[in-house]
Order: sequence, then structure tokens, then C-alpha cells
Amino acid sequence: MPETRTGGQVTTTVNGSTVPAVADRPGMRRERHQRLQDQMADHGLDGLLLLGTSAVAYATGAAAPGCDSARAALLRSVALVVAGAEAPHLFTPYPEGSPPELPAAHLHAAVVVDLDDGAAVLAEALRGLVGSGARIGCDEVPHPLVRALGEFELVSASGALAAAKLCKTPDELACIRAAQHINEQAMVDVLAFLRPGVRQTDLTARFLRRVFELGAETNGIDPIWQVMPLTKAEGPWTVHGDLAFPTPSSTQVLEEGDVIWVDTGIHVGGYASDFGRTWIVGDDPRPSARQQDQFARWRAVMDAVLACCRPGATAGELTRAAVDADGGRRPWIEHFYLAHSVGTDSAEMPLVGTDLGDAFDDAMVLAPGMVLVLEPVIWDDGAAGYRSEDIYAVTDDGWMALSDHPYDPFVAA
Amino acid sequence: MTTTHRARSEHGLDHRAEGGPGDPTSLDDEALRADRRDRLFTAMATHDLDVLVLGRPAEVTFASGARQLWTAGSRPFGPACVVVASTGRTHLLAVSDHGVPPEVAHDDLFGLSWNPVNLVASLAAIGGLAAARRVGTTSSSPGFSRLVAAVAPDAEVVDGGPALEQARSPKSPEEVARIVAATAIAEAGLTAMVDALVPGVTERQLLATYLERIAAVGAPTPPTEGVVCATPRTGPVDRRSIATDAPIEAGQLVVLDPGGFHRGYEGGVGRTLVVGDEVTAAQRDLARRSRESLDAVIATCRPGATGADLCAAWTAAGAPLPPAPLAVGVGLGVEPPVIGAGIGHRHVLAPRTVLAVTGWVATEGVGGYLERDLVLVDETGPQVLSTYGRGPAGEGP
Repeated sequence: MPETRTGGQVTTTVNGSTVPAVADRPGMRRERHQRLQDQMADHGLDGLLLLGTSAVAYATGAAAPGCDSARAALLRSVALVVAGAEAPHLFTPYPEGSPPELPAAHLHAAVVVDLDDGAAVLAEALRGLVGSGARIGCDEVPHPLVRALGEFELVSASGALAAAKLCKTPDELACIRAAQHINEQAMVDVLAFLRPGVRQTDLTARFLRRVFELGAETNGIDPIWQVMPLTKAEGPWTVHGDLAFPTPSSTQVLEEGDVIWVDTGIHVGGYASDFGRTWIVGDDPRPSARQQDQFARWRAVMDAVLACCRPGATAGELTRAAVDADGGRRPWIEHFYLAHSVGTDSAEMPLVGTDLGDAFDDAMVLAPGMVLVLEPVIWDDGAAGYRSEDIYAVTDDGWMALSDHPYDPFVAA
Repeated sequence: MTTTHRARSEHGLDHRAEGGPGDPTSLDDEALRADRRDRLFTAMATHDLDVLVLGRPAEVTFASGARQLWTAGSRPFGPACVVVASTGRTHLLAVSDHGVPPEVAHDDLFGLSWNPVNLVASLAAIGGLAAARRVGTTSSSPGFSRLVAAVAPDAEVVDGGPALEQARSPKSPEEVARIVAATAIAEAGLTAMVDALVPGVTERQLLATYLERIAAVGAPTPPTEGVVCATPRTGPVDRRSIATDAPIEAGQLVVLDPGGFHRGYEGGVGRTLVVGDEVTAAQRDLARRSRESLDAVIATCRPGATGADLCAAWTAAGAPLPPAPLAVGVGLGVEPPVIGAGIGHRHVLAPRTVLAVTGWVATEGVGGYLERDLVLVDETGPQVLSTYGRGPAGEGP
């Protein structure tokens, strides 16, 4: 493991604990369960009923194969967290992925809750495990489940879930770092394979083989190798006049000199990586002076943001530092953000610089364990632009990097 | 929302995308998109829906024809596509027109918002929504009815699932052709895994081989990463979907159950092979039992048959119902029905639906045997869409 890059005071502790090289997964699951219990108490919930893939992964720690969204919904795993219970309940088609410490009575057969007969089975289980009339936090309630759970009070789970997930434990940070490390290693091999004439899907083939050979548990997104236009006017057309990104990959052939924005993500222990770089297609790609200047501007924004990154700073301070560092321009894409977190979701709170607005950013106070995937974008109309992503965790007195990857073919000044 | 008068990029695709007739990632044909749209508006009329709000990617593909970025897993429901009967228009959550077919105009696109206030403003700008009386949604969440009330104050929110199922379930010949093309992609993945299936290889390596191959043929997204299961020759036999790093030994029965996508349509085929050259009599017997049971189920896949009929056909051949579903609908990804132990028994098969029918039998001391075939439920009888051979265990295709 290379030396960890840090900022602020040179410590790498989060609430007094060091981020371990390898996560203690049973301990991590215990800690998450306790956080959910605390949040349920704060939000007055008797239960949490979670259907979304990332929410189930968070609440139960259960592994599952990566699936297309339609299959992941119809043939889903379901989590039920009961207030005061020692462990969550898991209803799953993949019992082999359930954590070893999960009590046998908490592991249930899969329920097809998007159909009426499956929803009725889950409703019956809820009556037994939580009791009729309970107040249950939910992330999604398909209509059959609405019909089957008429006697329960269903409210949003998002407040409780988001609060539990906001600051990561050292073990969660170790999982994110492990996922990112596999993702980065695979991208070294993909970059070596990049040359004029390859198709986007050829890069995907190389990437998917390598990440699974290296130990990825699931792939999260169809890898993006987007050829950027030189000017915004070249399109594609957008609703806001800013860039179209990301666009899905195809069998498009890459050509000499293409500037491609790369974005990939995999999962380890349920936790997402997020890899973003700008590459240039060529047999011996060398950034022009203008391209190298774009990279220098990007680096300046990153340095300015990291200089503010410590507990107690606000997200608003980060956005202002980024804008100041790029001469008053807002160096990120209109429909996205300067930064987002990763966890069991590939983008989760804190989101920094979104259309939630300045007041939202000013109210978001950084705290130890928060993760920031910084993804400033430098657009230089006429010569495309530069975008990369790096992952940082807020430590007890500064930050530490969870990503560790060169910027080839760009070089730091 | 802002619009410009600039000409849109041709078909909303990059000019260098190949996009030929065989390209699994290109937009689908105009005629197929128009047919799907007609079916959707007809179903909305049948179910008296003024508006249909869709959230899942496959639903959005069906209604709009747009090509979306593929991400794994299921996300909570949110409005990604709004179909309005009174205007005949389909409104789409999309930042750009990349991958958006021309019949969905720039004015029909609404941008990505993190702020609910901005989302409400985007939806409120959709013509015909404010006057809606009945709004169908395909799923829901606590608070979703408040969102609908903010943009359609007089509307009743109802289950849009039956309307969508009516539109999606019967497959046109062109849609069946897509499913066949997707099955050919799955078969390419199966062939790659069969070639790599030697003693000592791991499930993880076979999964990597499969994913590499489907990407190499231009269709990188898998229906599931659960495609390999080496079954044990001693002790209890369970069907697993999560790949391990254990070396597979000669003589083990190995389930290979890949899928593929062609323009959003799913295909797939499942087969079981023995590693190495030697096939035991017990393994051949297991294969025979699986095939007899599966053939009995496939023979039952006719219009009007019920889920209970399919389950009865399986158990009549002697094997217990598998824990996983016996049959699942297939189209733009999996879709209802789901038929198996405790589910879907009252479902009545409609003509022109496609089912993935999976047989699984297991015997301690021998292993597990899986076969999966895609079957078109046709008036003239069941048609098996997969062409990959169903030879005895160990003989391969």
C-alpha cells in the first residue's frame, strides 16, 4: 500500500480510530445496525423496510450479484430492520450472500413484493415481526405492497437512512479504498490497451475482465469512455446549454487525438468506487500546451478545495474556494456537483454544489468520516476540457486520500 | 427549461456511432418504437389513465425509446418519464438529446434536479398534467402522492402496473427477434465459458470471461452477474449466484446461465456441463430428469395456461419445485409474471408473452443440474427461442 496522502494536520484518524488496511466486516455491520437503531429511535420508527439495492446492502451487509435494474427490482432482496432487534431481517434470492453472523431466524426466502401474492407474504411476515399498525420507514412501496400494508403507517425512510450513512466508519472507508484500489489497478491495464481504432466496448471488455480477476464483487455502471466535443456548440444539445455528460458507451471507434472522459465504478463489500480521468487517444499521446494548462487549472481547483477541507468547514466554503481558484468560473457541470460522497450508493450525501443551492451548502458542515469525491471540470471551449475525480475522507483534523492514481498522460507541473 | 433552434444531432446519436442494424447498443427502429407507443396509449385508454408516470429504466425505454446509461441495481421510484394521453407526448428526464429518438422533442426533455422544488417546476411545465384526473404510476414511495398533488391537484394516483403490463407483455415479431438476438449474445458468452471450463478454473474467472465476451460483441451489460455455479459432489447442493474463488474440480457439474441485451431486450440460455471428460451414470440420470421436467413445463406454455398448470407439469414429472422461480417473463429485462413455489399460480399466460423457464434438480452426492430456455407462448404452441444444444451432461452444445 503506498503512503497515504493527507492534508491539514498529518493524521489519518476518524473519531480517534485509524482506517484499517482491511475492514472488519462483522464489526462494520454491527456498527451500521446500531446507527440505524439510533436513527429509528430519533425518527420514531418501529421498523425500516428497505427495497433499494444499495439500502438493502447497507442495512444487512448481504452480498448479491450485480443485476440489471429490472431484475434487481422484480427478483429483489428486501431488508427489514425492527426497532430493538439484535440483527436485521433479510428476504433474499441469494442466501449464500447473507452475513455469516446473521441469525438463521433472520434469513428468509425471497419475496416478490412487486406482485400481489408476494406482497401478501411480506405483509404477513411484518405482522409477526413488527406487529400490525407499526410505523415503518420505507424507501419504495410498489402498489401491491401499498395494498398489502394498509394497516401499517408508512413514512419515508430517507431521513433515518441518510443520517446513518452520512459519516463513514473507519471500516467503511477501508471498503471504499479497497474498491477504489481494484478499480485503479484495472484502469492501468485499460489505459495500456487504449489506441486509435479500438471501440468503447473493447475498453469495457478489458475493464470488466480485469476488475473481476482482481476481486471486484459487482460492477456498478456501464463504463463511460465519452469522446468530448471540442466546443459545447458541437453538442449534443442539452436542456441547460452546458455539457452532456455522461453519455452511454457504444461500439463507437476511438480516433487519434480524441479527448475521452472516463468514468467507472465497482463495488467491494457493498461499497462503491468512483474512477474518473481524462485520457487522450493516441499511439503516444501527449497533451498539448493548452491541454496541459487545463490540467493545471484543474489541479489548482483541487488544491484550493482541499486546503479548506477539515471538520467544521462548510460545503459552501468548498464551492467558493473552487470558484475563486478558477477565476470566478463555476468549475463543475450544471446538472451535477463539485463533490459527492460514495458509500453503498455511487452518489450520496453530502452533495456539494447542486441545485439544492448555496444555503444548503452553507448548512452542510464537514465532519470526520464524510467522504468527498471531488470532480471539478475545466471546460476550455475550442479545446474540450479536463475532468478527473479523486476520493477524500474528512479526518479528525484534515483529509486523507482514498484514491491513489496517476493522471497519465497529463503530468503535474 | 430552455430550448435552442439548433438542429439536433441525427437520431440523437454521435455521428461516429456505428448504429447498424445488428448493433446491440443502437436506438431501435422507428417502426418498433411507434408500435410500442401505440400499445402504450391504447393500454392507457383501456385503463382510463390520463397520465402515466414511469420510473424504471425498462419502462422508460418502452415508452420513449431512449437509450439510457446502464447502472446495476434497483433504485427507489422517481419520475423519469411522463406519458400524457391528451397530448400524445412522452416527456423524458434527460439532460441531453444523446440517445433520445427524434419523436421525443427537445421541449419534451426535463433536466436532472436534486432539489424537489426544481423537480416540481419541471413537472408542472408538462402540458396536460395539471388537468389530469387519473395518474397511473408504476411504483410509489411515501410522499410520492404529495408530489403528484403538487402538479396535478385534481388527480387520483392509481396503480399503472396493469396498463404497462398490457402494453408490454405481448411481443411483436420484431420484439421476439430482438430477444433472439440477445439470446445469441448470451450464447456467445456461454461458448466463451465452455471453452474456459477446465479443471482448476474458478467461478470468478468464468464470470470474468463471460463479461469480457459479451462486451467484445458490443453488448457489455449483463442481466445478472450470477451466471456460474459449480455444484458439489458431496453434501447438500444449493443453487448459488455469487461467484467464489474456489478451483473447480474435474467431475463437478457446473451451471452456466448467462444472459445478454440487444437494444434493451433480454435474452438468455442456461446449461450444465461436467468439467473434464468423464460423465457418471448418476449425472446423466440427473440431466435426464431435469430435461423431462423442463420439457413438460415448456409443453404447457400455451395461451390460457395458468401458473399452477406450469408448476403441476414440473412436479408431475417427479422433481420438487425449485426454490427459484420456474418461469419469469422476459422482454425489456425481466417482467411479470413470476411463477414458482408460492407465487404466480393464478396468473394466466397471455398470447405472445416470452418466458424464461428454468429447470433445476439436485441430488446429494451427484450435484445440481440447471437448464434455462426462453419460450414464446404462441397460439400455435410453445416456441423455444434458444438454439444452443441441450445435449447430455458433459457433451456440451
